[in-house]
Amino acid sequence: MALLNRILYDAIYHTTPILLCVIGGLFAYKAGVLNIALEGMMLAGSFVAVLVAVNSQSVWLAYLSAIAVSLILGLVFSYMSVNRKGNVIIIGLAINMIVPAVAGFVLQSMGVPNLTAKWINPVIFRVHLPVVERIPVLGSLLSGHPIGTYISFLVIFLAYVLLYKTKFGIYTRVVGESPETAKSLGIKSNYYATLAILIGSLLCAVAGVNLAYERLGIFTNNMTAGRGFIAIAAIYCGKGEPLKSSLYAFIFGLARALAVNLSIYAGNVAALFDIIPYFVMIAILAVNAGYSNRNLRMRTYW
Amino acid sequence: MKRIKWKNLANSVLPVFFALLIGAVIMLAMGHNPLNAYRIMFERPLFTLRGLTNTLHIAGPLLLAGLAIAVTFRSNLYNMGVEGQLIFGGFLAGLAGAYLHIPNPFLHKFVCLVVGIIAGMMFVLIPAILRAFLRVDEMVVTLTLNYVMMTVLEYLSSGPFRNQGAGYVSTNTIDKTAMFNRIGKTRLTPFFIIAFLVFLLFFFMHKRMVFGYRGEAVGKNPEFAEATGLRVRRHIVQVMIISGALAGLAGAGHMMSHEFNYTLSFSGTPGIGWDGMLISLLGGHSPAGVLIAAVFYSALKTGSDNINMYTGIPKEIVAIIQGLIVLFLSIRFINDRFGLTKRWRNKRNMKGTVHGTFE
Repeated sequence: MALLNRILYDAIYHTTPILLCVIGGLFAYKAGVLNIALEGMMLAGSFVAVLVAVNSQSVWLAYLSAIAVSLILGLVFSYMSVNRKGNVIIIGLAINMIVPAVAGFVLQSMGVPNLTAKWINPVIFRVHLPVVERIPVLGSLLSGHPIGTYISFLVIFLAYVLLYKTKFGIYTRVVGESPETAKSLGIKSNYYATLAILIGSLLCAVAGVNLAYERLGIFTNNMTAGRGFIAIAAIYCGKGEPLKSSLYAFIFGLARALAVNLSIYAGNVAALFDIIPYFVMIAILAVNAGYSNRNLRMRTYW
Repeated sequence: MKRIKWKNLANSVLPVFFALLIGAVIMLAMGHNPLNAYRIMFERPLFTLRGLTNTLHIAGPLLLAGLAIAVTFRSNLYNMGVEGQLIFGGFLAGLAGAYLHIPNPFLHKFVCLVVGIIAGMMFVLIPAILRAFLRVDEMVVTLTLNYVMMTVLEYLSSGPFRNQGAGYVSTNTIDKTAMFNRIGKTRLTPFFIIAFLVFLLFFFMHKRMVFGYRGEAVGKNPEFAEATGLRVRRHIVQVMIISGALAGLAGAGHMMSHEFNYTLSFSGTPGIGWDGMLISLLGGHSPAGVLIAAVFYSALKTGSDNINMYTGIPKEIVAIIQGLIVLFLSIRFINDRFGLTKRWRNKRNMKGTVHGTFE
């Protein structure tokens, strides 16, 4: 029972940053821009949050500066991709390379291997829901998480409403699905694409803050460890729909939780749990693609 | 024709220039002399015999990784899994080197290289088949498979194949018969010659043979290629397999000429596969360009150690410069037709027409 509780808690815990990235990335996906810089933006969020927290001892300044830096990266990304029509994949890769390099550079010139905000007690970020906490399984699932977790679940529904019920969302989807239609309707494609990318970098910053700052108050370089790419895969699997994509994010979180918790019993082999979600995802992509191809009834064209 | 070539060159040189410029600004802000730092960084790896041979030695796997990416890019495919295929090739070549005791040194080396190549080819088969027959985006699949491979190898090298005598996670060191020895007093090994021969093969394939042309045809317009009777599916699988083979060879060579056992930092950070991406971009995806870019990049890589040793500037400055190069490479500084004049002309024309806003 204790193990089950811990696995459920950890599943939510590991889902949070991926989920935030997924929701952030799917706006850009819907606007027709593949943002593989999620990873870099998340790392920037973690790094800046802890760096500012160490130096300023202010909780809110850390949040704000992390978001600001991530938004600047988003602006760079959108300027290069949307305005200058550069290759999005390469720009994303570049940002993913630059952020750890800058972080490493700063750490090296400070002469420390990683950053620790000692004055932070991660417990202050934990939210305990008064009644739910007492319920056996549900309690560990829903209560005692950092603020970012609750934000992430709230954001799923916000994203749904924003994408499907507002003018902004509809225009963004038009820009992504049919750029010609957008142009003929006089929709400012660049404006909507930029805005979609910026929403992504905002949420990535929150994910990064959650990962480094709310949980531990520690930053080590490359601590995002490919979560941004997992998020991209989840977006692809869910075809950019908020609820579906979030479900895939949760599958990843669950697999991670299993890997961590079962390593006590299974030893090294438990690390291999980590690769299950990747295979699940590739299988889903293949099945989805095969299914939609059958409906296309095209000639042999790839 | 010549004009276009000149512009391609400018589009590769200008990003490097701007990246170095920004790097210089950062160094100035920290109170270091950037010119001095750049002199230290490039002088030794390019203008001393020992440094130059070392640079070429490091450039071998980089050249192959760059070609692995270039060959897919030309057909408009994205094999982002070069890193995964490379470490898999290196790992299996390492096992073959350590566990197969073949007394004949030539045969042993040959077997190891073949094992590496086959490993790379097998691993790329998953995304290649999914792409060709089910139209699954190969970029996402290759990206995710990198992490799968990293996790699996981490498990294998720290579990079943761990060298118990070593104080850190590593596999057994490969046999002497599987190691490429240095040529004379230089750091060059015969592996560089192999890499160079592969490069020559590609150079001629790209220029003189049908395969290179077909690749470009598929890359530029797949519908047209299909309509003229090219077998696009088969071509996709072929290109991906070649890419995987090159990556596997690069990994095997890196193992047998430089690392000699598999550790968790086998391909370094950001990893030879990712370096190959930069090299291919920098070289404009042409074989000759890839060669020049690989040597330049290798100089940058070996020079970063010097910069740390002699100036006190953290060597991550080089990583920042690398990232900036990639960032600037993503856009074309100079269009095929001069961007500035074209825009100006468009503006002037638009004034005269009623529907000017619709371009």
